[in-house]
Amino acid sequence: MKSIEGEAGNFTVTVRERPRYVDMDKCIACGICAERCPRKVKDEYNQGLAQRKAIYLQYAQAVPLKYAIDADNCIYFKKKGRCRACEKYCPAGAIDFTQREKIHKIKVGSVVLSTGFKSFDPSGYDIYGYGSLPNVITSMEFERILSASGPFHGHLQRPSDKQPPQKIAWLQCIGSRDLHAGCHEYCSGVCCMYAIKEAVIAKEHGGKDLDTAIFFMDMRTHGKEFDRYYDRAEKEAGVRFIRSRVHSIERAGGPDSDDLKIIYVGKDGRRQEEVFNLVVLSTGVEISEEMRNLAQDLGIELDIYGFAKTSSFTPVATSRPGIFACGAFAGPKDIPQSVMESSAASSACAVLLAESRNTLTQQKTYPPEDPIIHEEPRIGVFVCHCGINIGGVVDVPAVRDYAEKLPNVVYVADNMFTCSQDTQGLIRDAVKKNRLNRVVVAACTPRTHEALFQETIREGGLNPYLFEFANIRDQDAWVHQKEPERATEKAKDMVRMSVTKAALLEPIEPLLLENRHEALIIGGGAAGMTAALDLADQGFKTFIVERDGKLGGHAKHVKRTWKGEDGSAFLTDLVGRVQAHEQIEVLLDAEISRLSGFIGNFKTTVTTGATERKIEHGIIILAVGAEPLKPVEYLYGQNERVMKWHELEELFEKEPERIEQAEAVAFIQCVGSREPERPYCSKFCCTSSLQQAIDFKTRKPELNVYIIYRDIRTYGQREQLYKKARELGVIFIRYSLDEKPVVEDTLIDGKGKLKIMVRDHILGIPLELQVDYLNLATAIIPRGDEKLAKMLKVPLNEDGFFLEAHMKLRPVDFATDGIFVCGLAHYPKPLEESLVQAKAAAARAASVLIKESVEVEPTVSVVDQGKCIGCGLCEISCPFGAVHLVQVPGQGYRAENISALCKGCGICAAACPQKAIDMRHFRDRQILAMVEAGGSKLQAADNE
Amino acid sequence: METNKSFEPKILAFLCNWCAYAGADLAGVSRLQYPPTIRSIRVMCSGRVDPVYITDGLKSGFDSVFVSG
Amino acid sequence: MELIQYLLDLSGIGRNRLQLRWVSAAEGQLFAKYVTEVSEITQKLGPFDADKFELPLAAVEQTLNSARIRWLLGLIKQVTEQGNVYNEKFKKEDYKKMLHQAAQEEYQKALIMRVLEERPLSVREMAEKTGLAVYTVSLRLNELERQNQAGLQKYSGNTPIFMGM
Repeated sequence: MKSIEGEAGNFTVTVRERPRYVDMDKCIACGICAERCPRKVKDEYNQGLAQRKAIYLQYAQAVPLKYAIDADNCIYFKKKGRCRACEKYCPAGAIDFTQREKIHKIKVGSVVLSTGFKSFDPSGYDIYGYGSLPNVITSMEFERILSASGPFHGHLQRPSDKQPPQKIAWLQCIGSRDLHAGCHEYCSGVCCMYAIKEAVIAKEHGGKDLDTAIFFMDMRTHGKEFDRYYDRAEKEAGVRFIRSRVHSIERAGGPDSDDLKIIYVGKDGRRQEEVFNLVVLSTGVEISEEMRNLAQDLGIELDIYGFAKTSSFTPVATSRPGIFACGAFAGPKDIPQSVMESSAASSACAVLLAESRNTLTQQKTYPPEDPIIHEEPRIGVFVCHCGINIGGVVDVPAVRDYAEKLPNVVYVADNMFTCSQDTQGLIRDAVKKNRLNRVVVAACTPRTHEALFQETIREGGLNPYLFEFANIRDQDAWVHQKEPERATEKAKDMVRMSVTKAALLEPIEPLLLENRHEALIIGGGAAGMTAALDLADQGFKTFIVERDGKLGGHAKHVKRTWKGEDGSAFLTDLVGRVQAHEQIEVLLDAEISRLSGFIGNFKTTVTTGATERKIEHGIIILAVGAEPLKPVEYLYGQNERVMKWHELEELFEKEPERIEQAEAVAFIQCVGSREPERPYCSKFCCTSSLQQAIDFKTRKPELNVYIIYRDIRTYGQREQLYKKARELGVIFIRYSLDEKPVVEDTLIDGKGKLKIMVRDHILGIPLELQVDYLNLATAIIPRGDEKLAKMLKVPLNEDGFFLEAHMKLRPVDFATDGIFVCGLAHYPKPLEESLVQAKAAAARAASVLIKESVEVEPTVSVVDQGKCIGCGLCEISCPFGAVHLVQVPGQGYRAENISALCKGCGICAAACPQKAIDMRHFRDRQILAMVEAGGSKLQAADNE
Repeated sequence: METNKSFEPKILAFLCNWCAYAGADLAGVSRLQYPPTIRSIRVMCSGRVDPVYITDGLKSGFDSVFVSG
Repeated sequence: MELIQYLLDLSGIGRNRLQLRWVSAAEGQLFAKYVTEVSEITQKLGPFDADKFELPLAAVEQTLNSARIRWLLGLIKQVTEQGNVYNEKFKKEDYKKMLHQAAQEEYQKALIMRVLEERPLSVREMAEKTGLAVYTVSLRLNELERQNQAGLQKYSGNTPIFMGM
């Protein structure tokens, strides 16, 4: 992108397209060009660990899957017209050396910058020897080493001698939290988690004898389920965690040894050494010089670190109206947060461009269904290697050959990645060429990929329900990694069962239902209100149901954000906008008492005091929040000097003499969090306590402020608070879970004080602190929403927070369509992240609300009214009210299915005494055939 | 029984799409290892499992049936 | 499911051949644990000989398919939680007992019908083939006769021979 001219709603973007010298329409990605190309160059995608040719694919799953010529290295361009090997051998005639750079002018209403990050380059950092010691590598390089499509095909080996390492060390905070020249003071936020993941996966590849050690300062596993992963890595996988910043790395042993000696300061404060075969530098994230320059040209303000400057209250808006930022360009962050921000950015665009919605859309069309679907089954079986995920355990070619011999199977293939775009094309071609009318894919899991393959065969002219999935990854290759032969046997059985069912599948027509365009938001806190405004601004009527007497939730305690913005002003403005909006209706002191229906057609009863209100709506957003734990330890509730969260700053604000008279205050972190009964991090308590500590210290520099902590988790740019607090003289004392601080009442000179006993982690001696006040950063706990969860039929996780459909891919959706989640109900998070999630939920919700009709799963029950005797057992047993009796003239009562309500569970079918009910796509005869196909009786007969 | 040592049971499993099947996928994602004894059939709800499926499983040569919702 | 386990016990197959476990979407670990557990249980039980249990298994299936049992199962919730048409609520325990009783009778009838399918038999022969007591066979045969599912074929000497209908 060269430039953006114009203003919000009417931009002209100038884009420069570099020539690839390959005609995209002709290239069939056969790879012959790369095979014939004589010029080898370092493969950037594999971090230079492998080589590629001058004509290349960036990576195996690239979209579109088309080759390109790297003109900087191509002989033709370097030596004026020589070579032309690719041109000569290309069977499609796709090479075109005459291509020139193209300039495009694109007219758009808004722009989203999601340009990502650059990994920190440790070359200039000589104490770690990167570049001079071959076995010191970056985490990005290690990712490639672990990858099936990487330089060593997923075999764990080190670069110098290609031998499998026995001992690997990870060094955290390389380029992050480091004040050296060229490094960054912020925390990159993602490295702790990826280092743990790499260590765990390395152990999977290298066996349990592989020794892995992570050298870190603070372990920052603050995301949802992250602390559990950390615990399991340590206790189950046996990853070693060493709290120390490594001083330097040296070559160990003699000149012919490539081993590495790590020198660090141990727990006891003494110098330690340990030898490793491979050292991975956990490099941080940064914004490239190129991107900084581009931002400057575009007129977008950056923060002091080079990330897009955004406000906590408009977290995806850049300084230039109409241009939005998401992902790592707007600050270091992980995948779930980036995905949420991307949805949030799309919501911001949708609000801006609401008026012109649907003016440029086209309807996707499918080819008519091939009449072949009604003929004898002709099954195609596609077995996926999934890189080495399946292929590394299961003998995929053997499964393919086995499938070929099964009845009705007329075509088989194995694919590296069956889900890749080009394989999708292959499947469609195979369907056409071999006149297939049923398709079986043996791969990952239907829960993530069934819809994709159904779409593929639909594009190939088949009904999407003529598809069957055999789960040979999640429930086979991954869980039987040490038993490849038996895993292969199991895969064959699964394929046989799926093929058997496939032969009995029937085409099913889609079910279209009318869609309502109103939204219901449960919870009127900052997240709920933000989501409501985004939807209402797009013209959707929105209801907010708040159980409290007023809007606002916990945000009212946020005086200032960590960036220093005024929280109360923001909240006042937000509430004002919600109340003034004509498309928003707020119901206070209200609760959901009944809820029925489904995506596009929910019916909800809201109770306010004695009155009931019935609302019909298309979607639901859950923003019910969470609350701070009231602790039973550290004298909370027994001594008024012990407080929690914002109580201390609120006290100092109300009674300023309190801080004037005080000599010392302390904070204890992780109260109730990261404990065995609550093994998660509450994420923003470190930031909150540091903010208060800085505030107190600024107001009264002679006040002693202690922060008693386990790990300081000021991730991202919040790290500057940690630095500032230390500069101001806040004293940090670390404790461990097995030696928690002890708090006692005491009297000093007739004044009531608190005595805190804690062991100093540096000196290793017990300390006794005397403080006037103690503030506890207690866990953020869910509200106990089991009733609501049951009513909505959405799950909670083990900790009681709402469980989204997929942590990374669908972070605000539920598996149940039409219901979304945001804010603290999902997991503890700071205000700006709640707002991002609220906007993301709004974007997801709008994608439903905008539709005229919704398509529901037609895999519902069917009643054979000829067999039905009208007994009504189905009606009694159905949990969704989806079967009822209707009067049929001359026959009395007969059961009838209400497809829209039916979830396809099949309880009615199992209960029917007459066997008059069957399930589409899960018919009795289909399941029974699978049972028989899976049993060893049939298998024995096969073998004979 | 001596012979049991080498005996590899074959178990028919009915897994509810929303609960156990998802749990089984999660076990995979977490690389939790367990014996390769089950052959699973995905159903939309464990309530779909008609009693006859169970007797049919035993008749078809499975050594036991595992229903998980 | 409990009833199936009861019938598996009754037929000598043993309730442990059917294992039930609840696992939520978030409990991958529990799932792995349960599969290991169920595998161990099955390992201890040893291979299941479907041929040896052909008759009892068929009878269990027939029992589970019988209208009486399917009805009783279908009504559990209503009768124990909401009450019947007379607003009488059954205790869950009592209902279970009654259900077991009914299942046992249906199972015995199914056994008899199965052996009669092969050829007409005397009461003593039936008892031998099904493993039921002679008295039990007569009781169930009586019911079968009333429901027109079995009947007298002929007398072999003084011994009445029955057949399935």
